[in-house]
Amino acid sequence: MATDEELIAAVAAGDDVALTTLYRRWERPLHAFLARYTGGRDVDDLVQETWLRVVRSASRFDVRRRASTWLFQIALNLARDHHRRAPAEPVDPERVAELAAPDPLGPVRAGLDVARLLAALPEPQRAVVVLRHFHDLGEDEIAAVLDVPRGTVKSRLHHAMAKLVALARGDATEGAS
Amino acid sequence: MTPRCEDVRERRVRGRATAEDAAHVAACAACGAERETLAALAAAFAGHETSAPSPALEPRVLHAAAPILAARRRHAARWSVAAAVAAALLPLPLIVLVDVWALQLIYGGLSRLLPPALSFYLVMNYAAVLALLGALTYGAIPVLAERQARGRHEVLHG
Repeated sequence: MATDEELIAAVAAGDDVALTTLYRRWERPLHAFLARYTGGRDVDDLVQETWLRVVRSASRFDVRRRASTWLFQIALNLARDHHRRAPAEPVDPERVAELAAPDPLGPVRAGLDVARLLAALPEPQRAVVVLRHFHDLGEDEIAAVLDVPRGTVKSRLHHAMAKLVALARGDATEGAS
Repeated sequence: MTPRCEDVRERRVRGRATAEDAAHVAACAACGAERETLAALAAAFAGHETSAPSPALEPRVLHAAAPILAARRRHAARWSVAAAVAAALLPLPLIVLVDVWALQLIYGGLSRLLPPALSFYLVMNYAAVLALLGALTYGAIPVLAERQARGRHEVLHG
């Protein structure tokens, strides 16, 4: 079975079968990443843009890099650009308290709204949490995706976890800060 | 070394807490106080699903990528032929020199045995055959380059 790196090299030469294989391998992770990172806004458009950029940039892919790092980096950069053009509505600090509010349907549905918890995080922290907790990337790999030092990843992760704990406890003041 | 509270917290939410972390939580009041919250967070994260991509997305993406791929294929084919031709042209001056030297040698040998006009005729015939073979070889380069590219495609996709 061809590796992702081999498939990217073939895509650079215009191989449509390689693109289909790579797409099917990565469709779900990239879609899920963008859905969590953006809160579900324009995910299909971003997925499409990500793949078009993959095809355009495949010839510049550095084979010493991991394909996963490169793909997440492209998706993340596009999502950031997209949000700069159309900024998300800010999370209302008053509503953050609802995150931990008792669910009227009782214990079956009682739980934390992950999408809203993630939305309440600042963008750099959200990217780290999504890549670490939902895609199981190591700190070094996240650092490569974000192009920041590993220490920055650790620090963002720690701040994010502290904020998530505060939000989960219903501490609106912490969530707003 | 005792693990740091921040690291322990992160591993607990990821469901990767170690025995050392458990011991730390048992001993640390701050970490102990977060037990329920972290368990709720871990459960929420572990159970969080996003909607599956729409089945229409794949054909849409592949259709949008098709013109770019076609351009890449053309570019790659041109580049592949150009590289093959360049590689083949590199030894051409040496081949021509050796051929000219060989033709002169043959002409010299023949003209000792045959009349010069006949020797010249035979050598020119031989030179024409050599030129034809050379032209056929260089003409086959684009075909061979394309076949090689097809071979790479088959190796990749089985």
